[in-house]
Amino acid sequence: MVVEWWNTNRQMDLLEYQAKELFRETGIPVLPSQKIRCPQDLKGLKIPYPIVLKSQVRAGGRGKAGGIRFATNTIDAIAAAQAIFNLPIQGELPDVLLAEAKYNASQEFYLAILLDRTARRPVLLGSPYGGVEVTFTQDKMQRVVVDEEFSPFYARRLALKMGLTGEAIEAVSTVIKRMYRLFVQQDLDLVEINPLGIRHNGEVMALDGKVTVNNEALNRHHHLTRLLQERNLEEPVYSGVFPSHDFVELDGKLGILCNGAGLTMATFDLVCEAKGKPANFLNLGSEQTWYGMDDDPLERLRLGLEAVTTSPNVSVVLVNLIAGVTLCQDIARTLVEFSEQIDRPCKWIVRLVGGDVVAAEKTLKQANLTSVKSLDEAVSLAVKAV
Amino acid sequence: MQFTAKTKVLIHGIAEPLAATHSILMKAYGTQVVAGVSPGLGGSERDGIPVYDLVEVAMKEVGPIDAAVIFVKPYLVLDAALEAIAAGIRRLAIVTEGMPPMDMVKLIRKADATETLVIGPSSPGLIIPGEILLGTHPAEFYTPGSVGLISRCGTLTYEIALSLTEAGLGQSIGVSIGGDGILGSSFAQWLQILDEDDRTEVIVIVGEIGGSGEEAAAEYVAEAIDKPVIAYVAGRHVPKGRRLGHAGAIAANLSHKTEKKLKQAGKTALFDLDIGTAEHKIEAFKNAGIPVAERPSEISKLVKKALK
Repeated sequence: MVVEWWNTNRQMDLLEYQAKELFRETGIPVLPSQKIRCPQDLKGLKIPYPIVLKSQVRAGGRGKAGGIRFATNTIDAIAAAQAIFNLPIQGELPDVLLAEAKYNASQEFYLAILLDRTARRPVLLGSPYGGVEVTFTQDKMQRVVVDEEFSPFYARRLALKMGLTGEAIEAVSTVIKRMYRLFVQQDLDLVEINPLGIRHNGEVMALDGKVTVNNEALNRHHHLTRLLQERNLEEPVYSGVFPSHDFVELDGKLGILCNGAGLTMATFDLVCEAKGKPANFLNLGSEQTWYGMDDDPLERLRLGLEAVTTSPNVSVVLVNLIAGVTLCQDIARTLVEFSEQIDRPCKWIVRLVGGDVVAAEKTLKQANLTSVKSLDEAVSLAVKAV
Repeated sequence: MQFTAKTKVLIHGIAEPLAATHSILMKAYGTQVVAGVSPGLGGSERDGIPVYDLVEVAMKEVGPIDAAVIFVKPYLVLDAALEAIAAGIRRLAIVTEGMPPMDMVKLIRKADATETLVIGPSSPGLIIPGEILLGTHPAEFYTPGSVGLISRCGTLTYEIALSLTEAGLGQSIGVSIGGDGILGSSFAQWLQILDEDDRTEVIVIVGEIGGSGEEAAAEYVAEAIDKPVIAYVAGRHVPKGRRLGHAGAIAANLSHKTEKKLKQAGKTALFDLDIGTAEHKIEAFKNAGIPVAERPSEISKLVKKALK
C-alpha cells in the first residue's frame, strides 16, 4: 500500500527497482535483487532461493492483485514469472519483474518524507503499523515537521514518537536521515519505504520503496529524467504540446478552451451546472506561463484549437479568453482563420475580454462566429447549441 | 497598506521578454520602477529604467528600494530572491511559474527569519487600482474602490475584477497568491493585511481545488476578521484525482464521502494537503458564516448585500 490517494501524478513515479537503486546509492539497506526481463532470465539467477518475484508496475496494491509471489525453486519461479508478466494491475502490464531474496521481518514499519503545503516544510511520517494495512489517520501515523535546516534529531524525534526503544532508535533514524538526504539532493516529491522490515537484533531493511520525482526540478536531475524515460520508452513524460494536466478529454460534444487554470475550472463548472456535456477542456496557460514564452501565443492558440477539435464528437467550441498583452484582434483573426480551415462544421461561441475587444467582436461577427460579452451568456449559448 | 504609489520597485530579470513587456506597463501605470537587474547588462538602460548587475549596486545608485518583482527563470528564482533579501528588500513578488518546491522551502525559511513578504511564485503579483501595479495584472479591468480581492489564479482574478467593475464596485487591491504548490504567502496572511487596510470594506476570496489554504482562511475569518468576506471556489465539477494546470490544483482522490466517514469515526485525515476538494472548501467557508457565490457573476451581488 502506498500513498496513492494524494499522489495523483503517476507519470512521475519511479518503479520499485529504480527507487531501490537510489536507496542503495544513498546507503539505505535493501535486499540483494535482480531484474527479470523474461521468465528464462530466472535460469541465471544469482540470488539463493527462496525468493520473492514482484511485478514492476506503478500501481499500488500489487500484493492483493497477485503481482507479488514467492518461489522456492527455478520451476516454481518460472511459472510465477509467467503469471505475473501476463497479469495487468490497474491496466498496467510489467516490462520487468524484480527477483529479491526473501526476508523475515519481526515487525514492519512505514516511513515517508514529503512536502506539506500548509506547513510549507518537509514532513517526516512514520508508523509502527506499516505494510499492507497502513492507515493514514492521525492516531496511527506520527508526523514531524522539519522547520529549520535538517539535523538528525528530527529523525530521532520521529523514531521516539513511533514508540521505538533501544537499538531500533538509531537504526530507524539512520534510514530516515538518508531518506532525507535523497529527498533534498534529488528534489523529490515523495520518498516512501513501506514496509521497512526490522528484526529483533535491530537490523532494518527497505522491503518496498517509492520515489516520486518533482516535475519542476527535473531539468537539474538528468539521472532521474533518464530513469523515467527508461520506463516510458513508448510513452514520453510529456506527450503532445499540452501537458496532461492542461488538456482533459471527456465524452461529451462541447469543446472548451480557456486561459489560466482557475478560469478554465470556473468555465468548466459553469458548463456542468448548465447541464452541458464537455468533450474536453483545455487550459492554454496564462500569459506568464513559462513554457509558453518561447512560442508565439497565437501559435499556441492555434495548437489549442486543434487539440479541442481533434475528436469528431466535438460539434460546439466554447472559447473563453482574457487577454492581457496579446491583442484581442489578433486572437479573433486566429479564431476566424482556424474556423474556416477546419474540414467539418463546428459552432463557435467566443467570449473574449481585453484591450481592443470592440474591433475583435466585429471581426468575429463578420465571419459568423458568435461573440458575446458575458461569460454566463456564452456558457448558456454553448450548451444550447449542442 | 504595505504598498502605495510611493513604493520604489526593482525588476529582477529585466532582460527577460516577459519583464520587458511588463516593466513598461508598470511604469505607465505610475509605479515607481527605479531599477532593473540583469547580470552582465549593468550600466545599460531599458525603457528608461537603469539596469545593474547586482541588487546592492542598484541600491547604492538609486537609493532605498522597497519591493522587487522577480521574472528570472525558475531555477534562478531562489538566488534572485535571496539577493534581494540580502540587500534589504522586504517585499517580493515572484511572477515566474514552476519554481522547484524545495527552493521555495529554503526561501520561506529566509523570508520568515527576515520578515519578508513573498507573493507567488506563479503569480501576477498585485494591483492597487489607481496607485500601484506590481506584476502583470491587466490594469484595464480594475477601478479604485473598497473591495479587497485575493485569489490563486491570474485570469480568474481579472474575470472577477472585471465583473465587480461592471457592477460599479471598485477594488482596494487585487492580489494573486500564486498557483504553485508551495507559496510564499497565504490567504490567511492577506486576510490579515486587508483587515488592517483602511480602504478595504469587504474581502473577496477566490479559491480553487487543492491544498487547504481556503480551509485555513475560513477558520481565520471566523476567529479574527470583522470585515465581511465573500468566497468563490473554482473546480467543483472537475474530475477527481487530477492535477489541473496549477501545480497547486490537485483534486484529491480522497472523496468527500471518505472524509465524512473518517470524521464520523472521530478520525481526521493526516495530510492537510489532501483535503482539497471544492465541496470541502465550500463547506469550510459556509461553516465560518461566509457566503459562497455559485458563479463568478454572483460575487458582485453578494458583495453589494454585504455592504448594505
